[in-house]
Amino acid sequence: MSVNQEHNEMLNFLQIKDKNDLFSDVPQNVKKKGLNMNRGISEYELLEEARSYSLMNKGPGMTNFLGNGLYDRVIPTSVDSLIGRTEFLTSYTPYQAEMSQGVLQSLFEYQSLMCQLTGMDVTNSSMYDGYTALGEAVRMAYRVNEKTEILLPETIYKGKLEVIRSYIAGLHVKLLFYGVDMKTGHIDLDDVRSKVSANTSAIVCEQPNGLGIIDENVFKLQEIKKDALLIAYVDPISLGILMEPGSYGADIVVAEGQQLGIHRSFGGPLLGILSFKNDYIRRSPGRIIGESVDANGKRAFVMTLQTREQHIRREKAMSNICTNQALMAIAAASYISIVGADGIRKVATLTYQNSKKLRSSLSSAGKLSKGQLTGKPFSDVLVSLASPVEKLQDKLFDRGILGGIPLARFLSKGKAEAIPNSYFFSVTEKTREQDIEQLVRTLEVIS
Amino acid sequence: MSYRQASYDEPFIGELRSGTTYKIPGKVEPDALMDLPSGSLRKDLPLPEVAEYDVVRHFTRLSQMNYSVDLGMYPLGSCTMKFNPKFADRVSTFEGFSEIHPLQPERSVQGSLRVMYELQEYLKELSDMDAITLQPLAGAHGEYTGILIIRKYHEDRGELDKRTEIIIPDSAHGTNPASAAMGGFDVVEIPSGEKGTVDLEALKAALSERTAAFMITNPNTLGIFEDQITEIAKLVHEAGALLYYDGANFNAIMGVTSPGLMGFDIVHFNLHKTFATPHGGGGPGSGPVAVRGNLKDFLPVPTVGKEGDRYFLDYTHPKTIGQVSSYFGSFNMMLRAWSYITYHGSDGLKENTVNAVLNANYLARKLAGKFKIPYKALKKHELVLSTENTGKRALDLAKYLIDHGVHAPTVYFPLIVHEAMMIEPTESVSKADLDQYADILLKSLDEQETELKKMPRNLSVGRIDEVRAARDLKVRWKLE
Repeated sequence: MSVNQEHNEMLNFLQIKDKNDLFSDVPQNVKKKGLNMNRGISEYELLEEARSYSLMNKGPGMTNFLGNGLYDRVIPTSVDSLIGRTEFLTSYTPYQAEMSQGVLQSLFEYQSLMCQLTGMDVTNSSMYDGYTALGEAVRMAYRVNEKTEILLPETIYKGKLEVIRSYIAGLHVKLLFYGVDMKTGHIDLDDVRSKVSANTSAIVCEQPNGLGIIDENVFKLQEIKKDALLIAYVDPISLGILMEPGSYGADIVVAEGQQLGIHRSFGGPLLGILSFKNDYIRRSPGRIIGESVDANGKRAFVMTLQTREQHIRREKAMSNICTNQALMAIAAASYISIVGADGIRKVATLTYQNSKKLRSSLSSAGKLSKGQLTGKPFSDVLVSLASPVEKLQDKLFDRGILGGIPLARFLSKGKAEAIPNSYFFSVTEKTREQDIEQLVRTLEVIS
Repeated sequence: MSYRQASYDEPFIGELRSGTTYKIPGKVEPDALMDLPSGSLRKDLPLPEVAEYDVVRHFTRLSQMNYSVDLGMYPLGSCTMKFNPKFADRVSTFEGFSEIHPLQPERSVQGSLRVMYELQEYLKELSDMDAITLQPLAGAHGEYTGILIIRKYHEDRGELDKRTEIIIPDSAHGTNPASAAMGGFDVVEIPSGEKGTVDLEALKAALSERTAAFMITNPNTLGIFEDQITEIAKLVHEAGALLYYDGANFNAIMGVTSPGLMGFDIVHFNLHKTFATPHGGGGPGSGPVAVRGNLKDFLPVPTVGKEGDRYFLDYTHPKTIGQVSSYFGSFNMMLRAWSYITYHGSDGLKENTVNAVLNANYLARKLAGKFKIPYKALKKHELVLSTENTGKRALDLAKYLIDHGVHAPTVYFPLIVHEAMMIEPTESVSKADLDQYADILLKSLDEQETELKKMPRNLSVGRIDEVRAARDLKVRWKLE
């Protein structure tokens, strides 16, 4: 029996002659005349076409120094395999909990592991990406204390700032900026102190900061934050070696989780990690998985505190989040489980080690100007090059090297020019000595 | 009935102690961290130490305790759980797509930009809108982006101070009022009329010089087409407000009519619904937003432009609301949606729409004798029934369904129908599946309430105590 026959039986049952009669309620004047696009093709043709587009992209196989938020890290094959399981991949939000324990326990484990990593009490079951999670964190701080000023580092990336602005468009809060010392690369604590007031809702800090520096002053913010909440935007891999935000007084922690087993895929899907102290859980956005028991007393998991959410609370909800990044959260949970504590520590240590190697190689090759940041970079190595950086990315690309990004891509022109010819090269655990040597050799030729 | 879901007593991953086996390449030098002040370093890192094989088994076992659209019908109303084609999975793993950094030189990402450009054109054609952003990361994020555009539009006209209200029908998705409120607007809810559609008189009464926009979905959440849509658009525009289309239900009309033809100004799409990108147990999604030409300047940047054979990131929108997410949107989901549209084409997309509507109407008719199906008979993509007349609770019947190996519909939504079940079969189910689904649902009525309360019994766990989860809050395990 062909599909059409089956449909005819259904139409007969409905006592409808023509399928088009199913749309008799759509007025003629809004009916579409046709679709101006090609007719469908076979799977084989589709795969060929998609492959030909993918080959128009360049990047895989090239020496890579691109980072600043997303990084080329080792991804265990098992991570892809696990999130490729169609029971995870093709399921919806676990509204029927008894039928969805797999996703629910996996997300509960994600929440647990992120708390372990950040040193916080609670992690929600994911946000869209790092920047939007930061926007939500700022809104959350406002809900907690209803104060009107947000303090941000002046070296926060432009894009991050725009996303924050988009998230506070409907709130009556003001953004204030505190300074960063362009010699050390550390935030200016005196400036923060002078700007914290009774109106301060939150102080946003970054670790590593916007200049890529492991910022010792960030650890001291808890001493001067007064009643403001401290929101720490962190690199999750750096937490393999650096002090966890829970130990330096953070109230809310935000991170981009792409580095935890997720492919860069031209920027998405990513993973927004949002962790916080217990006190704020009822003011928090997004979905949270909780543990309970079933009718027989067996451990079981459900989405909990749903009365904060849009489908119940509507315009009074804590956020409009419905879809989140559940699959990416499962990727992160499996990544952390597979590489383990030792693996994450090693990845972080190798990254830091490679950033030092990169800086010293550039320095000894005479590629750097005299004034360099004295602070220590984690993965994004900001250098002041001896020669102009305009078109440097293009020139490197022509010689098989992806990377580096001018600081001006992220900060206003004025700020970026405080460091002449400022340019980022990023490293990961995958960066090899010969990659750094190739970069140095290439810079010899082109600058 | 012989359905049984797998049921493991699976411990927390941190309780497994087989020891890490995974190898990270590279050699750590002994003094690598010596130059960092000890105050900057963490003292311990309490994370799992588990062999890779144990991790794989752990998550594989968990996956077996999870229903999915690859196992069968998943008719959550308004969620459009259609079959997710495997070719899209394959395409998404091509290295030339998956191993690309968003900040690479433009000329090195022409393939990705081409996919995005073509998807923009596809979605514009399908919606009859003039310009589009692919940046929003989910439907609700698209709604919020739309709200920001509404703000900017009225601000640009010097009217934002007085246009403080957004009107929303009582049948709307919860994200609509949540997104509007997030953008600083007051939400004005209007009741649905007797036919389940917008009550024009109520709309007229609500519209004023304070109205910034009216947000609706068409067909609405009752699965009913708003046939007075042209009149609605006229009223909204005469009041100086914008008309927003919630695209969650777009699968019902794609290729038959369009938001543009109906007079909408702003539209969001849910790529994970209409365009079959997998929803991953809750996400990722993707929520592109299309607008009429007069709103183009407000779109987030960048969009993707084309000049000759070259594709480029266009940052020129003069009155842009700025950037709304980290980069250009969820590229991998765009790629899958592009694959879906290219594969089905003009003929297949419309056929899918028609079949989705056929399936919903067929199921409605099968169930109509026993359940009350309020409002008019002709449905679009979904039907909403009430279990009230049967004396049974929708929740209990949902548990009966899942106990029989099919997913339950959305329950208790829309809020305007008591004991609601909202069923959206989509186009990718057979008549046999629909018949079986109807049979199970009808048979559930023969079950005694005391028996229903004991369900589910065939799943990895029985009925869960949700109250306890919220009362004795436990949201993580600790690993020492």
